[in-house]
Amino acid sequence: MARYRIGIDVGGTFTDFVLVDMAETRLEFHKEPSVPDDPSAAVERGMRALAEGFGISLGDVELVVHGTTIGLNAIIQRRGARMALVVSKGNRDVLELARLRLPSSYDFTAPRESPLVPRDRVFEVGARMRSDGSVAEAPDAAELEALAAELRGARVDAVAVMLLNSYRDGSLERTVSDALRAALPEAQVSESSTIWPEVREYERCLVAALNAYIQPLMSGYFRRLEARVEAQGVAAPIYITANNGGTLSVATARERPIETALSGPASGVVASTRVGSVAGRAQLITFDMGGTSTDISICPAGVPEFTASTEVGDFPLMMPVVNVSAIGAGGGSILWVDAQGLLKVGPVSVGADPGPVCYGRGGTVPAITDCYLVLGIIDAARFLDGRMALDVEAARAALGGIADRLGFTGPHRAREVAAAALRVASAKMAAEITKLLAQAGVDPRRYSLLAYGGAGPTHANLLVREAGVRSVLIPTAPGTFCALGAILADVRRDYVRTAQHLIGPATVLDPAANGWPAIEALLGTLEREAAAWVSREGSLVGAHDFVVSFNLRYPSQAYELTVIVPMELRDGLNGGTVARLFHEEHHRRYGFSDPATPVQTTTIRLGVIGKVAPVDLPAAAAGTPEPSGRRGVWHDGRSIPVDVYPRSGVGAGALVRGPAIIEQADTTTFLLPGWQARADRLGTLCLTEDAEDTEDTGATEAPQPAEVDPA
Amino acid sequence: MKLDPVLVEIFFHKFTAITEEMAITLQRTARTTYVKEAGDFGTSIATPEGRLFAYPTDLGVSGFLDSDVGPALARIEDLEPGDVVITNHPYDSEGLSTHMPDLHLIKPVFVDGRIVAHGWDFIHSSDIGGAVPSSISPRFAELYEEGFQIPPLKLVRAGEMNRDFLTLYRANCRMPEENLGDIEAMLAALRVGERRIRELVALHGVDTFLQAQKDLAEYAAEKALAVQKKIPDGTFEFWDFLDDDFNSDIPVRVRCAMTARDGEVHLDFTGSDPQVEAAYNIPTGGKRHPWLTLKLMHYVFSHDKTVPLNHGMFDHVTVEAPLGTVVNPEPPAAVGVRSATAIRLNEAIVGAMTRAEPELMPAPSGGIMIPSVLVEQDPGGARKVMVLQSLVGGTGARFGADGVDGRDSSLANQRNTPIEKTEEEAEAMITDYALRTDSGGAGRWRGGTGVAFSVRVVQPGSAVLGRGMERFVFCPWGAAGGKPGSKAQVLVNPGTNREVELGKLDIFYPEPGDVVTILTPGGGGYGDPLERSSELVGEDVRFGYVSEESARCDYGVVLVGGTVDAVATEALRARMREVRGPFKEFDFGPEREAWEAVFDDATMSELNALLMQLGTNVRGRRRREIFNRVIPRLSEGAVVPLHERVGDPAPARRRIAEEIARLREDLAPRAAGD
Repeated sequence: MARYRIGIDVGGTFTDFVLVDMAETRLEFHKEPSVPDDPSAAVERGMRALAEGFGISLGDVELVVHGTTIGLNAIIQRRGARMALVVSKGNRDVLELARLRLPSSYDFTAPRESPLVPRDRVFEVGARMRSDGSVAEAPDAAELEALAAELRGARVDAVAVMLLNSYRDGSLERTVSDALRAALPEAQVSESSTIWPEVREYERCLVAALNAYIQPLMSGYFRRLEARVEAQGVAAPIYITANNGGTLSVATARERPIETALSGPASGVVASTRVGSVAGRAQLITFDMGGTSTDISICPAGVPEFTASTEVGDFPLMMPVVNVSAIGAGGGSILWVDAQGLLKVGPVSVGADPGPVCYGRGGTVPAITDCYLVLGIIDAARFLDGRMALDVEAARAALGGIADRLGFTGPHRAREVAAAALRVASAKMAAEITKLLAQAGVDPRRYSLLAYGGAGPTHANLLVREAGVRSVLIPTAPGTFCALGAILADVRRDYVRTAQHLIGPATVLDPAANGWPAIEALLGTLEREAAAWVSREGSLVGAHDFVVSFNLRYPSQAYELTVIVPMELRDGLNGGTVARLFHEEHHRRYGFSDPATPVQTTTIRLGVIGKVAPVDLPAAAAGTPEPSGRRGVWHDGRSIPVDVYPRSGVGAGALVRGPAIIEQADTTTFLLPGWQARADRLGTLCLTEDAEDTEDTGATEAPQPAEVDPA
Repeated sequence: MKLDPVLVEIFFHKFTAITEEMAITLQRTARTTYVKEAGDFGTSIATPEGRLFAYPTDLGVSGFLDSDVGPALARIEDLEPGDVVITNHPYDSEGLSTHMPDLHLIKPVFVDGRIVAHGWDFIHSSDIGGAVPSSISPRFAELYEEGFQIPPLKLVRAGEMNRDFLTLYRANCRMPEENLGDIEAMLAALRVGERRIRELVALHGVDTFLQAQKDLAEYAAEKALAVQKKIPDGTFEFWDFLDDDFNSDIPVRVRCAMTARDGEVHLDFTGSDPQVEAAYNIPTGGKRHPWLTLKLMHYVFSHDKTVPLNHGMFDHVTVEAPLGTVVNPEPPAAVGVRSATAIRLNEAIVGAMTRAEPELMPAPSGGIMIPSVLVEQDPGGARKVMVLQSLVGGTGARFGADGVDGRDSSLANQRNTPIEKTEEEAEAMITDYALRTDSGGAGRWRGGTGVAFSVRVVQPGSAVLGRGMERFVFCPWGAAGGKPGSKAQVLVNPGTNREVELGKLDIFYPEPGDVVTILTPGGGGYGDPLERSSELVGEDVRFGYVSEESARCDYGVVLVGGTVDAVATEALRARMREVRGPFKEFDFGPEREAWEAVFDDATMSELNALLMQLGTNVRGRRRREIFNRVIPRLSEGAVVPLHERVGDPAPARRRIAEEIARLREDLAPRAAGD
């Protein structure tokens, strides 16, 4: 009987698995060491381990959802396809010039990004559109033949095509790329208007180029993955997690692999909002602290927030992705002392190899993880459930070296350095969170920090004191949280059109100038296209919903705002309503609006969400926490005795008072003195200060601007 | 440092975070495109004395770290809690505001009756009145043409808005509501800053908070000194030229003598030209100033990325900027386009540093920033004004690295405008936006190429405008044996029989169908081009940065069928080494060599010293007369290369000697009468 779903997230060190038993509302977790050379090998091994460990038949699996960073890694490490780029005449340097900005205004040694396609594999063709959608110049058959011959000579595996103004109409781009497909059947061709038809040639070009760059690699990987999964006796379809927090069929992911490059962090945010909503906390700061970096996302409204201006590697990506910011701080961030004697943490990381000193793999530079260990926050014998013994003495000795350089003396110098390093790390991370909150224009006091990843729960309580955040949520399985997010996601794809029209109520806009009828027609076209696509995404996909959003601006201004149309306003939507939403959003974010002027649309986006029968998160068993031991933890300049609790004992409704350590296989939670942790229905820990109300504080309130001062 | 090294590090992050939160708040709530899109604003926190002790890493304008809010505050006698001071006055703020569209706000933070810090921010406002919209034109000679002058005064008095001031302000600028929106945003940012400062004081106490400011400055000073010690001891002189001052064709010289001693750096700008009767003057108050020390800051930061951005970075720097020169003008000299002069001043400092030790700095970049603008008229006669593109050149090469092609972070580091966004608004078509082959200065490390930008005009009655037209006369020089980058050019219908060279574009009215092409300069090259590996030259040719012809003539590399002919290259390079002249530490190009064959450093210093004795009211006219008599063809403009306009230097040298003698005579009775 088809009753199981498996979520898989491939990381650098481990491949994480979540098994859902739909029949019994049961979740199981598993971590399998990753195989960097062939990630599908770890997938195969992990599935076998699931079958054996939990006694299930893989034939009963109904759905596999897979998250992979292969595309992202290929872009960062420049290991993608040998490719060519075809552009309009006069636009050869679209990638060389990019958007002109260099990484630093101060530092003349900061290099530009290395281009994805070298200049001698960028080819100009006499083909371009005008901005009104008409053809300005079209190539004849001879020119296309000559172009194909040049590409053949360049021996490329992939080609991207981006012609000026083709966001208006992709037919000219398709003419060119169809000719190239016919002439070079072995190369994969991506055209910009098919992947993402939005105005701005550099960014659109990158979407097509990045897609082409990773397509051969990703196609090969998907082929191996399908073969291995099938060989396990799994007949279920495989879905791939996407940058927008949704999933795509393998067939779509193969066509549009760029949509999967940033999916890992997105899945974590999907799981966060789900767990947060059960805990009654909608306004979240997600905090995924791993070895080399930390991913942070601000969710003001209980759902993942999107952005259309993010980066993938060195490059901007204009497609909507879940808005996650990475900061260069993690368990592997190194401690060092500069020439003037100041203690520095990061941004360099020891990486997975050799890792922190305590891993005993030859590392000599102490990292944040060494600090946790020496302070007594993590237990040398129980790290990763005892699968990896840690060397406390080596860590202490390395921290002693830092202490010498700082001039710290006395018997506790290693621990004092460790505590100091955590304060510095917390101050740095709090500074980054403060900036993100300021950008969103929200007040941290209303937010809960949802902590996951290996080090997230360990550092969360230390961090929130610095950041002015008043509560922390820690899910039951923080180490495999992204895999959980994968299995909770619906199928989703976004569509875009660039369309400049004036809209507004009849009171401010002459009916002849009203662009709403054109927009309505466009929306209709997009809905038909999206519905047709989602109907082909597989039999598990049930009903679908549309999400409509607009980029809008006042005609006199250059900057735009995104307005998402609430579900309840979708029926009978009109230009006046959209304009009103814009004025309101403008006022909320910027403190002023001008309802007497019409509003200009720039970009229209339609998201289609194909519903997959939802996974119920299982309730946790009740339980009264009993300490399994007690150890000394260095805190605020002295060693304090701290009770240690197994996480499994902290059942639904249980309360633990700090100071306390809560241990589980994939992480350790540190609860500070004066704080308490209460487990909710799912077993999610909610950490608050003793004086704080543990009830919901922000689930139903609208986000507030940061500016709360009256004057 | 008095505080413990952990606390100092933590304060560094917290102080920086305050300035960044202020920046984000300002940009998020501001109204105008200047602030929101171009990011032309700044936020910081200042010591009680007025020096900036923290600065955002990557938000807003990067160059104002060495600002001093003290002089502006000193003009307020009764500073009290809840005050906010406003000023845009270049002279009364002693160079805090460097041109009048920049509105500066300062908010003292009082704790127990004592000032513990000041919040500071500024924005470039879209318009501050004056004779043209947006308030800036190079042709202005006096501040009065440049708009509404606001000496330091209270915008907010003890928490109460100064409504009378707002009334006056509204009456004196073209778009007051938008600008007032930006002022609101500045006030919001100052509130955020004050709140965070108060939180820190509450947590750590006033004394620790003040000590942390001092410790971090000391820390920055130590780091900067360590980097500055790489500069060899000695005095190193260099000067560079603006093409002209717009109102005349006389080049403007900026001179720097840098003296380094054990890391202590003194910058002496004596010998720079007298202030000009155009908007190119830099108001510095004659003291250490952001526009004078910016390049040193880039130098320090590039060599030590961990240095905290605060005023301590400049503790070991002193300056001399004589009154009445372009680097310290007397009121009411106009200052609107001071940035153009500052670019040359920076290059003079780079040159002095390069003389000291060539490996410290890159050769100069293209050194221009041209906002090119198109005006179209629809059939109904309505005019539309659109930015076509922000055009810059490439960056200069440096020891160990080529310059960056077609980009330049050393100026504003702004983003460009997508062609598709331009064409959404304009009927005209952008037919080319590409790297300019062979424009990067040849060298062992190649200067970054400039850009070729072409627009085909469609509508009758269109106009193309450009500002910041520089490096049309003098090229970005090459260093350590490298060649100069190409000069800028503006062409109409290039490559056709209707090709015309326009020289410096101010405003041009093309016919429908005309193509207007702007070519930006390349960066200077670094090191001997004959030492660039022939494989790299071959790659440059394959990528199209360098032509085969330039590979042969400038690099001595022979390509056959696209591949390097090693034997022929070796032979050619040997021959070129034999025939070429002596090694040139700097290669300034023929224009500057011709100019300096007449106006050498001694002559210019002598002339300037004499001119400075004339009153400001007659100095400019006399100066113009002298140059036009010495070089009669000078006013033919940038289309004619300067060495052609100078002609034979010998008679011109005689003429300048006569002019100097006459000037000395004219001044003699005056000196005698004193």
